[in-house]
Amino acid sequence: MLFFSQLANALVIGTLYALMSLGLSFIFGVLKLVNFAHGEAIMLGGYLYYLLASLRLPLPLALLASIPALFLFGVFLERLFLRAPYQRKMARYDEYVILVTFALGIFLQNLAFPIFGPYNRQAPPLFKGTIRLGELVIAGDRLTGALIAFAAIGILIFLLYRTYLGKGLRAVAQNPRAASIVGIKVLRMRSAAFGIGVTLAGVAGALFGPIFLVNPEMGTSFAVKAFVIVVLGGMGSVTGSVLGAYILAIVESFGSILLPDPTRALAYKDAYGLLLLVVVLLARPQGLFGEKERRA
Amino acid sequence: MTHKILVAVLGLLVALGLAPGTHAQEVVKIGIVAPLSAPGGVETGQALVEGAKIAADELNASGGLLGKKVELVIGDTSGQPEKGTAVMERLVTNDKVVAVGGEAHSSVALAEIEVAHRYGIPLVISEAWSDSITAKGYPEVFRVTVSNSLIYSKAARWIKDAGFKHVAVIGENSDWGLGVIQVFKDNLSAAGIKVTSFSAERTVTDFTPQLMQLKSMKPPVDFLVDGFTGAGELLMIKQAHQLGFAPSKTTAVLGAGMDTLYPGFWETVGEAGVHVLSNPAGLPGLPKTKTSEKFAKTFKAKLNREPDAVAMEGYDTVMVIAEAVKASKSTNGKALIDALENKVNWEGTRGTIKFTKEKTPAWAYHMWMDVPVFIIQYTKANQDPSQAAILWPQKYATVKGYVRPSK
Repeated sequence: MLFFSQLANALVIGTLYALMSLGLSFIFGVLKLVNFAHGEAIMLGGYLYYLLASLRLPLPLALLASIPALFLFGVFLERLFLRAPYQRKMARYDEYVILVTFALGIFLQNLAFPIFGPYNRQAPPLFKGTIRLGELVIAGDRLTGALIAFAAIGILIFLLYRTYLGKGLRAVAQNPRAASIVGIKVLRMRSAAFGIGVTLAGVAGALFGPIFLVNPEMGTSFAVKAFVIVVLGGMGSVTGSVLGAYILAIVESFGSILLPDPTRALAYKDAYGLLLLVVVLLARPQGLFGEKERRA
Repeated sequence: MTHKILVAVLGLLVALGLAPGTHAQEVVKIGIVAPLSAPGGVETGQALVEGAKIAADELNASGGLLGKKVELVIGDTSGQPEKGTAVMERLVTNDKVVAVGGEAHSSVALAEIEVAHRYGIPLVISEAWSDSITAKGYPEVFRVTVSNSLIYSKAARWIKDAGFKHVAVIGENSDWGLGVIQVFKDNLSAAGIKVTSFSAERTVTDFTPQLMQLKSMKPPVDFLVDGFTGAGELLMIKQAHQLGFAPSKTTAVLGAGMDTLYPGFWETVGEAGVHVLSNPAGLPGLPKTKTSEKFAKTFKAKLNREPDAVAMEGYDTVMVIAEAVKASKSTNGKALIDALENKVNWEGTRGTIKFTKEKTPAWAYHMWMDVPVFIIQYTKANQDPSQAAILWPQKYATVKGYVRPSK
């Protein structure tokens, strides 16, 4: 029975991890760049939901209202920092992006301190209380978070594979030049993709907030996990991110209780993910579903 | 051309910004180190600073120290040892403080005592409990709060007397957390009580797998010690309650860190906070001293709540340093250390503070051995610690024993 409780908890957390890392993977897939401000996007989503909830908005509305705000913010960032150098075909664009997003992340995190204060904030969960199925006990806030995350992932997949926008995004991910030849506005797709990526991260942050508390540094540890998941699953692959998320959640949960010395096992919880990262990079660097790219 | 103008203007602004400010009157600077951002315990740090500020205001209202104004220089150490070292270095070399007080995280305190020792500046520890801080024997280091051995040996004895049989300790991977685990193990195993312990990184936020494991153990765990500070402490209690593990009819929980004393605790845990135990090193008015009454009044007027142990410690820290300055009539490091050791005998908000020179046990060196310790239990949601039921010591107890929840 303990095994099933642990598995249930791992799957719930895994769904949230999946939403959190999809944004990162998606941005890489379409824009071919690594967003080092991903953690701060998560943090912003957490604060946005907290702020809207504290304005006494009904909670589901608070969550829905943060989506367009996050999307517009993502588009704004892309336009401001990433579009011009791309258009001018800047040499060393990849390195530039790493520096810029990294600095942006630090800036946003430090901006959050004077604006929001260093306190841990408790955002109201959409559903309080606990769910009991016989011996199985799951916290309500986690379960609703996971269900919403599941729905969000479903909407993303629908968007990607059943809409024209999705087709355009996938086309730019596969081959930007060919996409522009057939008339797809590549620059617009790039902005949209960054916006979507930030939104996915932000919604994950909004769902994490009630469970794990909102503070300016909440994004950092989640971002590390997101990177592990994305490398494990393959950069740019939706299936890969989802699967990788569940694998990481299960490894973290069971690793910390199955190790022979239980007194130290929990202490190394974060290490299991990173160990997994090292193993994957050694054995299959492109991840489970990634593509082996030939950099000509 | 415009580029050059822009650079010139920016350069001028930077130069103005860096120019030294007006350096008019003489001041006596006292440094305060506290965690004011994550991953430190922010509310604990804030309380410490508030207490210190009230002390400084009081000193200045009555003429200052040696005829000069008292100025507090506050440094945020965030619960990170590297920051502790950096802040201490800055306080001593740049701000030229005469003494430093504060700190609420043992790992950081252990880094700070090294700097204090190197420069011969007195460091009075307000709220860091690891034995090693004073056990190291540095003459510069004094402590106005408990040590892990002092408080948890008493807590362990209470746990034994109250009849608990299987104690689980989840401690943070810091000098304090590991010390908590060690003291409980040493004191309880000797009495035949089973102790299961886990240590975890300070930044862990999900304890659910471990709590599930503890919940299913045989013999059942009937007492959980939450050996964390900051967000982790609060989340462990929230998650333990969500799993129906603790606080519950079968299992009690003790929040060993001080973040259970603040409104943020109730915001996070809600109903789960009722029946939680805490062990503050002080409660307002117990014992009732002149200083405690005055402090409680000022604190309540300023912050709209009763003072807590950490705020009282912050106040006592600054006042004790002031006493040393007054007694030695100087701000020289050596003179202050001598005064703290031999001349300070001051009635503070929690009793009369006097430091010992005892070296057995090692941690007793420069401790205030009579520091009051309480075991309290919350009986209502959103309760202030001063209203909570007092379980120990007998002298102040307001209830017969541990209040068991009904479900």
